[in-house]
Formats: sequence, structure tokens, C-alpha cells
Amino acid sequence: MPAWTLIAPEGVLLFCALLALFADVLVRGRERAAAWIGAAGCALAAGVSLYAGRGQLFGGQFSIDGPAQVARTATLLLAAAFLVWLAGEGLRRGRVREFAALVLFATLGALLMAAARDWIVLLLALETATMPAYVLMGFDRSDDRSLEGALKYFLLSMVASLLFLYGASFVIGMSGSTAFAATRLQGGTIGIIAAAFVCAGLLAKLSAAPFQWWAPDAYAGAPSAAVAFVSSVPKIAGLAAFARVAQLLMPQVPQVGPLLVAAALASMFLGNLAAYPQTDVRRLMAYSGVAHAGYLLVGLATGTEAGLRAAVFYAIAYAVPSMGVMLVAARHGNTLDDLRGLAARRPWVAWATVLMLVSLVGVPPLAGFTGKLYLFTAAMGVGLTWLAVIAVAMSVVSAGFYLRIVRAMFFTTSAKPDIGGAQPAASAAVIVACALAVLAIGLASSPILSAISAGR
Amino acid sequence: MSYLLSVIIFLPLLGAAVSALVPKDRPGAAKWVALATSVLGLALTAAVVATFDRASGAMQFVTNVVWVPQAGVHYHLGVDGISITMLALSSLLGLVAVIASWKVTDRAPAYFAMLLLLQVGMNGVFVALDFVLFYMFWELVLVPMFFLIGMWGGARREYASIKFFIYTLAGSVFMLVGMIALYLSAGTFDMVELARAGSSGVFGLGFQNWVFLAFFLGFAVKVPVWPLHTWLPDAHVEAPTAASVLLAGILLKMGTYGFIRVSLPMLPQASAAWAPWISVLAAISIVYGAAVAFAQTDLKKLVAYSSVSHMGFVMLGIFSLTATGLNGAVAVMFSHGVVTGMLFLLVGMVYERSHTREISKVGGLSVAMPVMGGLLAFASFASLGLPGLSGFVGEFLSLVGAWQSAVIPHWITVVSAVGVLLAAAYMLWMVLRVVLGTPTEAVLGLPDVTAREVAALAPLIALTLVVGVWWSSLLGFVDPAVKALLALVTGAA
Repeated sequence: MPAWTLIAPEGVLLFCALLALFADVLVRGRERAAAWIGAAGCALAAGVSLYAGRGQLFGGQFSIDGPAQVARTATLLLAAAFLVWLAGEGLRRGRVREFAALVLFATLGALLMAAARDWIVLLLALETATMPAYVLMGFDRSDDRSLEGALKYFLLSMVASLLFLYGASFVIGMSGSTAFAATRLQGGTIGIIAAAFVCAGLLAKLSAAPFQWWAPDAYAGAPSAAVAFVSSVPKIAGLAAFARVAQLLMPQVPQVGPLLVAAALASMFLGNLAAYPQTDVRRLMAYSGVAHAGYLLVGLATGTEAGLRAAVFYAIAYAVPSMGVMLVAARHGNTLDDLRGLAARRPWVAWATVLMLVSLVGVPPLAGFTGKLYLFTAAMGVGLTWLAVIAVAMSVVSAGFYLRIVRAMFFTTSAKPDIGGAQPAASAAVIVACALAVLAIGLASSPILSAISAGR
Repeated sequence: MSYLLSVIIFLPLLGAAVSALVPKDRPGAAKWVALATSVLGLALTAAVVATFDRASGAMQFVTNVVWVPQAGVHYHLGVDGISITMLALSSLLGLVAVIASWKVTDRAPAYFAMLLLLQVGMNGVFVALDFVLFYMFWELVLVPMFFLIGMWGGARREYASIKFFIYTLAGSVFMLVGMIALYLSAGTFDMVELARAGSSGVFGLGFQNWVFLAFFLGFAVKVPVWPLHTWLPDAHVEAPTAASVLLAGILLKMGTYGFIRVSLPMLPQASAAWAPWISVLAAISIVYGAAVAFAQTDLKKLVAYSSVSHMGFVMLGIFSLTATGLNGAVAVMFSHGVVTGMLFLLVGMVYERSHTREISKVGGLSVAMPVMGGLLAFASFASLGLPGLSGFVGEFLSLVGAWQSAVIPHWITVVSAVGVLLAAAYMLWMVLRVVLGTPTEAVLGLPDVTAREVAALAPLIALTLVVGVWWSSLLGFVDPAVKALLALVTGAA
């Protein structure tokens, strides 16, 4: 296998993104062709990513190991699913072409993020992944709330990037190199400051506490379709990058462990408790994302191979249903009221949503449960039993607000007709596929775990 | 033959899928799918029971395949005398529940799919021998029961279904922590291996104590043990009849089965240390359940609280840590499943006809519906523990076991025995008001039981009589497994 195939998925995406921008010219009058092109590109890139295997490029700046390969493949498959949904559903205000291209650029950034092994490359990848997201979040140009949300997202995301860059500058200065492999942090205050700033930037990108406040406001203003993508797909790669950074910093700066534990704790509490009063599905899922970032951090805080593996697995187990639920909201309405009686109108979509929601709660045999089993096993393996106890208690709390969505869909009726008439087959299939994926990931976790461990 | 257990577990899953896919214009087909699946499942269970070696206390029909090697998870199934008793009960009540739901027409395909999905979890819990698998089946029952209560329940169904889900989930997640702790300590999720490790002193007492507490939370909520019982009356009253039957008949037994299969053999020293305290809770459950049952004006609530009381006897028998007590405990589990199933069915039939469950409004059944009244009296006698009927066997043995026990103080046994008297009192008083007396307006002129209803009740009546008269038909299965279990527990102590 020639080494350049490792970065071939990026190439495929770049090509498809450019192609998508000109899709109108190529296929006249078929705006959604761009999304189909993108979906095909992502699927192809996922195949290439599996086929290309693991290895290094550019003197080790770009490296694909087990976690990176799994994260990249999962990101691509999820992006493909999103684009199929987009192709089926379209956008209420049109401009699918730009939307699809932006999604592809963001996915491209996410891929680079998972593979980056250099502080500067990681920063560039982070920016490539978030820059298109600013536009996606403000896609409704005529809607002030969307613009407000996008602006908030932009400003806070920039702050996060700068925090990260500030920390990274210390790291690079101390190490005398930008490569991960050459990173040597000094002990004492200066090392702690460097590590803390780097982690703060990454925590903010992951919407983990105490840097979570941008998420609910930004999501609540944005179009649901944009939220579905931004809140889920880049998170897998982001987590993979964070895992690598945490693994790099923890042995050198012992304070990183407790810092991650504290962030995990705060995220789980804040996310789960603040999700309770929400009636807007986007805000609810924003806080749910904060809570799940907390679970992911439990895995990173262990600093072990098992914890890292569990965290990467859980990132996928979180992203799939999270995207699925948001896509349901994107079509059927953003508030709990809109979802009332959905079971009677759209039984398949409603049951698929149930599967995804109970997976987020952590009910076996679904992906969320399997992921939590591995996370908590890793945490308890390093003596963080108390943290695991709090985490399981918090997942009971989470049942309360996820079940409110189920209750709205199943136990109540609504006189409101469904929005937008008959559902296109493509978008319905994506919802059902997400639900089935949740089941499959939960049952067949073994091959995924092997793939994550491979080549390390 | 070892694949038989897998077929028994997953056959209802297939049935659920077929039932959900029934074409929209023929919703009536769902119940036939459910019936066929349940009959076949019961037949297969009967085949397992018939070929089961009753002399052995070991696991039989074992399947053991590696599932997730990275996490030490296996697909490990098997039955001993205790599990097979519960599996038989689960298959039987599964069928009874389907027959009892024959008139359900509201969203029938989803209803029967949920009923069958519930069977998957119920069957699975009793035959799983890998902890992760056990936990999966344990939690699997939550979702269909949540929908059964929430979509087809009574007036306060939303509240009751969410309370049920969150309450039982809260208990079981701590079980997950305990389970992981055992895994990290012994390096396996295999329940047979863990039992062996527990009895050979691998786990220290301090460790055992907190893990025991974690499991206690999971199991005790399900049983339910006072003071963790508050979800039960709500869930029972709002649940549709078939769900009530399965809730009382099987789901509660999952809790006591957990104590027998997990707590006792894996954490023997902690079990012995906690036994006196748990026996106090058991005695409180017995007396409290009975006392509260006395005060009920709703027929279904009365039966629900009587369950709290009866499950107290099971707890007492288990934590007597004697062979007699454990035999008694399993016998109560079986008998309570059968008898309470019968009671809930009858209450459901009365409610279906008269649209009320108020005891004061449904008097004089013996005149208005003589067969129904007679059956209700019969079930009540079985429930209160009349000798010659199944209820007596277990409660008698549980009390004897508790008296013999080295860990339970005698006064606890005495207090618990008072519970038997109370049970007789509230049941007879109920019979007096509901069955005897002059018929009330609400029940006059109502039709008596139909052939379908008798079909649902007949196997339960037969079992009540057979087990009541011929104890060893049941205990012959249970005793060798109990002996094998106690050898592990006392070997460690």
C-alpha cells in the first residue's frame, strides 16, 4: 500500500467539496445533486480510509493509528449519512449546494484533526473543521436568532482556539519543536499553565464544562440540520485528537489528570441537570452533549489505554444517536410540542428515535450501554470508582429528560399536522439506519474495539 | 440440545418483529403471532423441563461462546433447578398474558410486540450466566414495560411509567458498578466463576460489603423491599392487566433471583453479615404490605400491596441461609407468580365488565357471576396460604427456615408469622365484601367468565393445586440446586 493512500480520504473530500460547489453547473436545476455527490464522496473516502490502513506521512506530522483510523472512518460514515439525509430532505430556504460543500470542508478538517501529530497541524485542522461550522450555524441569514447564535459560536470558538494556541505556544517553546513526538514540558507552574490552556481550548471545542455555555445558545439559534451535523460529526475526531493530547501531556504534567476529572464531573452535573427544564430539543441536546462530553472525559482522565479506547468508542456511540435525534427534530419540529403524537403520525421514525434516546440513557444492549460499560470499567480500574458511581447516577438523571421526548412522541396526541408532508425515503432511511447502527455498535463492539487497539 | 435455551429466549424477539410488521389493515393478526410464539416457547420450555436432570445441582443445557474478548464478555447460558423453575414460570405467564390481552385492539401490533419483547428479557435473566448478559436482559425488560404502562395504562399512566422506569433504572445502575468491581477483582464476568471465586475467599469482607450494597440497591428495588417499594403500587394500578400479571409474576422475582444467584454465592460473608438487617426489612415488608393492603379500597392496589408482603417471605427465606428457607423462597416465588397472576387476571376481568375496581362497588360476585366469584375466592385462599394450595408450601418453609437460621433472630420470625395471619385477615375480608354479600349495582347482570378467560386461568389453577398437594413436584427441581448453592455459601463462611 503506497503511503499517500493514507491521506487519500482528504483528497477525495476536497475534490468532492469543490465538485459540490459547482454541482449546479454540472447537473442543471438539481440543487440536491451536491449532497448526493458529497455523500458518495464520504462513502468512498470511508472505504479508502479502511483500505489504506495505518501508518505515517510527512515525517510523522500526520499519523494514523487505530483510534485515528476508527475515528476517521466513523466520521466519514456519519457525514455520508448526514448528506444522504440532506439530499432527501433539502433545506427549507434552499442553498443545499453551499451547505453540502461546507459540510464536506468541515469533515475534511475533522479527518485531519484525528490524524494530526503536530501542534500547528492540529490547530490548522481544528480551524478547518470549525470555520465552515460558523457559516452552517448562521445559515438562516434572514433569522436574527440564527445570526446571534452563529456570532456567539464564532466568538467563543475563536476564544477557544486562541486559548489552545496560547497554551501550544508555551509547549512549543519549551520543547523546541512543534512535533508531538518531541514535546517535552517542564515541570512546575509553567508546565501546568501550558497544559491547562491547551486543555481549556480543547474542552471548549468539546463543549465540556466549564466552557460549555456557548453551546445551548448557539444551537438554539441555528437551523436544526446544522446543529445535527456540528454537534455530532466533528466530535468524534475532536475526541480522538483530545485523547492523543491528553495521553501526551498526562505523564509530563501530573495535574492534567485531576483537571480532566474535575471537568468530567462538572460536565456531567451541569449537562444533565440543565437539560431538565428545556423544551427546545436543540437546547436539550446541547446540554446532553455537555453531559456526554463529561462521560468522554472520564475515559480520558484515566490516562490508560483502556480508557482511551473506551472514550473513542463512546464518542461514536454518542455521535450516531445524537445526530439521529437532531435530524428527527430538524424535520418534525424543534420543540417538544412539535413532537407530540409523532408515534401516531410516523411510527417508524418514532420507534427509531426511542432506540436512539434509550441508547443515550445507556440501556443495554445498545451502543450507549456498551460504551459506558467500557468507560466505567476503565475508570474503576484506576481507582476512580467514586467518579463511576456519580456517572451512573447522572445517567439515571438523564433518563428523565430523554424520556420527556419519548413521552411527547408516544403518550400524548396532537391536532397539529405533520410539517412538510410525506417524508422522503432517503431521509427516513437515514433515521432508521442511525437507530440500527446504535444497536449494531452495541452488539458488535468487539471488532470496533480491536480496530481501535490495532497498531498501538 | 444446548441451543434450546437460546431459541427459547430469542423466539419472542422474532415474534415481536413479525408482530410489529403486521400489515396495517390486519392488526388482528398480531395477537395470533403472539399466541403462536408463546405456545411454541412454552412447548420448548416444557421440553427442557422434561429432559432436565433433577438429581443434579449443576448447570445444564450450557452454551458458552466468547462474545467480546477485550472485555471478558461471554454469551453464557445455562439452567439449574432454580433457574428452570423461573424459566417455566416466565414462559407460562408469558402465554397467559397473551391470552389475557386477546381483546386489546388499540395499536395491537405494537402492544403484542412489546409483550413479546418483555418475554425476551424475562426469559433471558433467568438463564444468563454471564454478568453482562444478565444485566442486558435485566434492563431489557424496562423498555417494553415502560411502554406497556405508558401507552396502554390507566389514567395516571404517564406518571407511573416514568416513575417505574427511573426508579428501577436507579437501582440497577448501581448493580452495574458492583458488577464491574467484581470483574476487576476476579478478572471475569462469568457468574459461575464469580460464584466459585466468592466462595473461595477471593473477595475481602470490606470489598464484599460495599459491592453487596450496590447489588442490594439493584435487586431490592425490583423485589421490592420496604422502603424501596413505592413505585410498585403506581405501576400496578396503572398497568394493563397483562402487564400487571408479568410485573408481579416475573419482574419482582428477578430481584429475589438476583439475591439468590448473585449476592449469596458471590458475596457469602457479606450476605451473612447483612442477613439480620435484611431480615428486619423483610419482616417490615411483610407486616407493612399486609397492613397497607388492609386499608385499600381499590382491588388492584390490594393485590399490589399483598405482593410486597409476599415478597417479604421470599427475602426472609433467602437470607435465612438455610436449605429449608431457600427452598421455601423459591416455592413462594413460583407460587406467588401463579397465584398473583390469577388474582390480577380476575381483577382485570371484573374491571373490564364493571369499569370499577372499588371494593365497595363490586360486592356479591357469587350471585352476579358465580364462577368468577368462586375463582376469586379460590385465588384468595391460595394467596393467603391455605394448606393444600401452593401458597402454603413456600411461606411455611420460609418461616421454618428463618426459625432454624443461625443469622436471623427468632423474634423476626415471630413478627413475620403474624404477617400470615394478617394476610388471611385482609384476604378473607376482601372475599367477604367482594364475593359474598348482596350484589351491587355495578356487577348485576354482568356476564360470567368466558371460555377464553377460563383458558387463561386453567393452567394457573392446576398448578396451584398440584404444587399445593404434591410439594416435591416443584421442590424436586429446586432442592439439589439449593444444596449446591449453599455448599458454596457455607463453604466460605
